[in-house]
Amino acid sequence: MSSRNREITAENLVKQYGDFTAVDGVSFKVRSGEIFGFLGPNGAGKSTTVAMLTTLALPTSGRATVGGFDVVTQAGQVREIAGVALQEIGLDPLMKPLELLTIQGQLFGMSRRDALARARQLLELVKLSEFTDRRVGKYSGGMRRRLDLALALVHQPDVLFLDEPTTGLDPASRRDIWTEVRRLNREEGMTIFLTTQYLEEADELADRIAIINRGKIAVEGKPEDLKRGLGAESINVTFGDEDTALQAADMLIPHADRIQTDRRTVRLYLNGAAAAVPNVVSRLNETGMTPVSLTLTQPTLDDVFLQVTGQRFASEAADAAQPEAA
Amino acid sequence: MTTMSPSSARIATTERRAVSVSKSGMPFLLQVSMLTIRNLKTTFRTPAAVIPGLLISGFFLLVYNDSLGGAAGFIPGLGANSYLGFILPLSIISAALSGASLAGESVVRDIENGYWDKLSLTPVSRGAMVLSAMIAGAVGLLLQTTIVMTIGVLMGLESVTGIVGILAVLGYSLLVGVAFSGLTVGVGLMTGSGAATQGAAFLFFPLSFLTATFVPVNLLTGWVRTAAEYNPVTYILEAMRAVLNSGWDTEIMLRGLSSCLAMALVLYAFAFFGLRARLKRR
Repeated sequence: MSSRNREITAENLVKQYGDFTAVDGVSFKVRSGEIFGFLGPNGAGKSTTVAMLTTLALPTSGRATVGGFDVVTQAGQVREIAGVALQEIGLDPLMKPLELLTIQGQLFGMSRRDALARARQLLELVKLSEFTDRRVGKYSGGMRRRLDLALALVHQPDVLFLDEPTTGLDPASRRDIWTEVRRLNREEGMTIFLTTQYLEEADELADRIAIINRGKIAVEGKPEDLKRGLGAESINVTFGDEDTALQAADMLIPHADRIQTDRRTVRLYLNGAAAAVPNVVSRLNETGMTPVSLTLTQPTLDDVFLQVTGQRFASEAADAAQPEAA
Repeated sequence: MTTMSPSSARIATTERRAVSVSKSGMPFLLQVSMLTIRNLKTTFRTPAAVIPGLLISGFFLLVYNDSLGGAAGFIPGLGANSYLGFILPLSIISAALSGASLAGESVVRDIENGYWDKLSLTPVSRGAMVLSAMIAGAVGLLLQTTIVMTIGVLMGLESVTGIVGILAVLGYSLLVGVAFSGLTVGVGLMTGSGAATQGAAFLFFPLSFLTATFVPVNLLTGWVRTAAEYNPVTYILEAMRAVLNSGWDTEIMLRGLSSCLAMALVLYAFAFFGLRARLKRR
């Protein structure tokens, strides 16, 4: 099964809506059997890219292939080998899980009996076997997400697209999805294209990541390499207000290789950060600026993101991660 | 429509997976019937969406008959007795127009809850998706028509061609339903808006007035007559009326049938165009 082409490629992919360019010349290559993390804040162009790769939207220009098939001219073949769970869960609330799964299976060419058997098997897999009599509208957010994943797996796809699969889920459900994503990748050899706004998720799952910001890929590579690429560790000093932070940043320039200010926090990037802490503290004492906190960090993906986009990631993800009112 | 058969992989996917997925996919007509059944099931799981249409059909019949039936004696060649048979087809057309939004609204509902995308991600034929929504809408309208016919019979309607004639009228109404549903499905796909879909059905409402609405076409004059002569609805009305009131007339029946089919075909094309527009825009 590994002999099949399970790659995803994009060459200069562009999507315009009138004057607005949602995806602006995106290129990348995802290798067979890889988990690829596509990271970016809301509105960065993640979902639009997924829509084009999965044949739901036509690119304005550029070219993309899934499993070697062109997403525009061979859309039918792409649909046969791609499994897709979109950010907007595509379930009719009036239908029951077995109806959804069997229709899906039959549309992929299974006999009714095979489709039903596959449906039961998948419900087992996503732990929904006990809830087959319930309309999907009565499902909780986590249950719907799992059922949506099951729908994407009906035809045993070669390539799986997961658009923000854990947004809005509680930590336990999120772990479940992660476990299943890893299993699908390892045991079934699926190539997985995963978009997320959680850096932790990308760090945890992805072999390689690309960060997309305002329709452009800002950086691409292995998470470890990207973090290492930032080089320095950092000393992070948080102040009571933004003005103080800005003043402190000015003053601390000689103490760091590079400085970044993010609201009330000043980040000093330098090698041997720990050894430099006493100097920084005494300099602050001299000028009477009192920090609220002072921490020492190794670079994280969050830092990578901040560096390439000039904005923080975590706060945005926290906003989006409101628990489901299920 | 034959060009819209499942566009599935006929290329080198020889070693298929453990799950038996047939390469040719599901035949077009099976796709249509499966999706139509699914559409009907979910529509009737919200009975509140269907009931107003049923009530309004009965209303049209009662009002048209009771307010105009008395004057019918003045129409040459129409006994007051057969005015019911004359006006009933109009009630059916009115109901088809007002109820056709159901089909478009079901598409809008699917777009909103994301199921439309979910279906689009399978190898299902796009034509089957469009056609199944149109047929499901038409079946819903057929139910309304059946109720109108029943009310008509209870009010004393006598079909000169008997039960077969009544079935023929139902057949016409099914085709009319498919046609008008195509209009609302197309608008639903283009706009993704329930309000726009209802508006579109309303926009076509004049079609039921620029025709032999209350009197036969030969009694019309001026521009209304010209409009009626170009309006396909006229020929559908004439066919239904002939079957109920004067008996079988092959020419009238065929003219009605071809008007139905032409309208259905044009509006199916319109709906399909709506789908393309949707795909391009998103």
